Amino acid sequence: MSSLMWYIFDFARKAWADAFANAKTNPEIAEKPERFRDFPKVNKEYCIGCGACTVSCPSPNAIKIVREEDDETGEGLTYPIIFPEACIRCGFCAEVCPTDPKTLECGLNHYILPEFNLIPSKRKYVVDDFLCIKCKKCMKKCPVEAISVVDGKLVVDQLKCISCGECLGVCPVNGAMKGVFVDNLQDQKELILSCVNFLEEFIEGKEEDLRLLEQNDLLQYDVPVSEIWDDALKIMPDEEIALEIITNAVNRLKIRIIDWDESKCEKCQLCIPDCPTECISFDDDKDTIVRDKNRCLRCSICYQTCPFSVIKYFIAKFSLDDGENIHIIVNASNLNEGIVE
Amino acid sequence: MLDAVKDAVRKSSIHVCVVNCGGCNGCDVEVVALLSPRYDLEQYGIYVQNNPREADVLLLTGAVTEQWTDNLKRIYDKAPEPKIVVAVGNCPQSGDVFNQEGGHVHAPASNFIPVDAAIPGCPPRPSEILEAILAVGPQAIADRGREEK
Ligand code: SF4
Ligand code: SF4
Ligand code: SF4
Repeated sequence: MSSLMWYIFDFARKAWADAFANAKTNPEIAEKPERFRDFPKVNKEYCIGCGACTVSCPSPNAIKIVREEDDETGEGLTYPIIFPEACIRCGFCAEVCPTDPKTLECGLNHYILPEFNLIPSKRKYVVDDFLCIKCKKCMKKCPVEAISVVDGKLVVDQLKCISCGECLGVCPVNGAMKGVFVDNLQDQKELILSCVNFLEEFIEGKEEDLRLLEQNDLLQYDVPVSEIWDDALKIMPDEEIALEIITNAVNRLKIRIIDWDESKCEKCQLCIPDCPTECISFDDDKDTIVRDKNRCLRCSICYQTCPFSVIKYFIAKFSLDDGENIHIIVNASNLNEGIVE
Repeated sequence: MLDAVKDAVRKSSIHVCVVNCGGCNGCDVEVVALLSPRYDLEQYGIYVQNNPREADVLLLTGAVTEQWTDNLKRIYDKAPEPKIVVAVGNCPQSGDVFNQEGGHVHAPASNFIPVDAAIPGCPPRPSEILEAILAVGPQAIADRGREEK
């Protein structure tokens, strides 16, 4: 009984009576809220007719670029029109519209990426954290403040980067700031491989010189780039990119060479169990040691094992500075000088 | 006299049947939102049916898929006169994003049945749907009712 009393009593409260008498719909429900992204509005006088909006639009019939007829006052305007029956109000067109002020407006939407830019560039600028010494020279040089420190590493913000290349020029560490070519990675790999293979063959062809090389002497060669240039251009037709890739690859290249002078071998077979890849074996029929070059790791263990100096071990370093000659320096390793003598 | 009463009743009570002829359900969800207490569709005397035989208004959603090219007409025929068709959202009007080259949508729906009103948007806001139904519904039905005599 008392609950019924309370129930009736509830209607007598002022708050209830007010709400009952002044019932009105929440404006959020009845009207479009401020943030609502409506159909794009077209300000046709700003349009430059680039067509970016129609390309970005996901709906086939939503937007078309039209051109007014020319008259005596001049050329007719070119501008987009929106068909609301197909527009999904995504706002992409307003977002990509490059004019300032915007030809297309779509609520607050086109403010999402104010510095949206698409810069045609062959390169993407990245910092190699392994080599970077965190001098922050690139950060100070960057005109658009695209480089920042994130978790103690320098990072290039790809959306801000305008690909000016300033950072590459100031970086004091070779290779720490990279302007990598992004669109032809497979070709780049092929080019590097063919270049390395060529140089390796070249050095291995100099067997005579290598065997005569004294312990503390150097062998020097100059190989003109032109010898590999034609092949390189077949893989990578852009000369500028090809040269840069070859230069970068050659400058950090180091090839280790194992030379095997069979005439000196005493067939002690000490090297066989030591080789980690089992590429040395003893051929009983021919009574000789056989070495499978292709499986060799160039770890130099056999060289350190062999008591008769059958095996020699060299290190070749390369550099390409002028873009014309690859300079090669070969020196004998001095790993076990004492043992050899 | 009877007609006057009928007109008055028709103006204040509309029965709506939602027909999804192959859409993504986006618009249907907005119609469901209309039924919720937030928008409270029934306060305007609009009632949602799922039986076309009881409907005054067919609310079309979806981009008219293969199967619906025949069925749309069948459903339309089942609804009693006077009836009006409201196309909700972009799909029944243009096929919207589904109307890509090589796609299999047969929009616009007006190729198959007469469409009286269209509400653009993908999806339209519930309040936009409500506005459209209220704007065309009562009068159109009353008018059609008179025509039929
Ligand atoms: S808002 Fe989206 S769907 Fe509409 S015209 Fe612009 S890009 Fe096309
Ligand atoms: S290329 Fe230019 S804009 Fe981009 S990170 Fe380097 S300095 Fe900054
Ligand atoms: S260099 Fe290493 S892998 Fe190559 S033959 Fe000698 S021990 Fe084997």
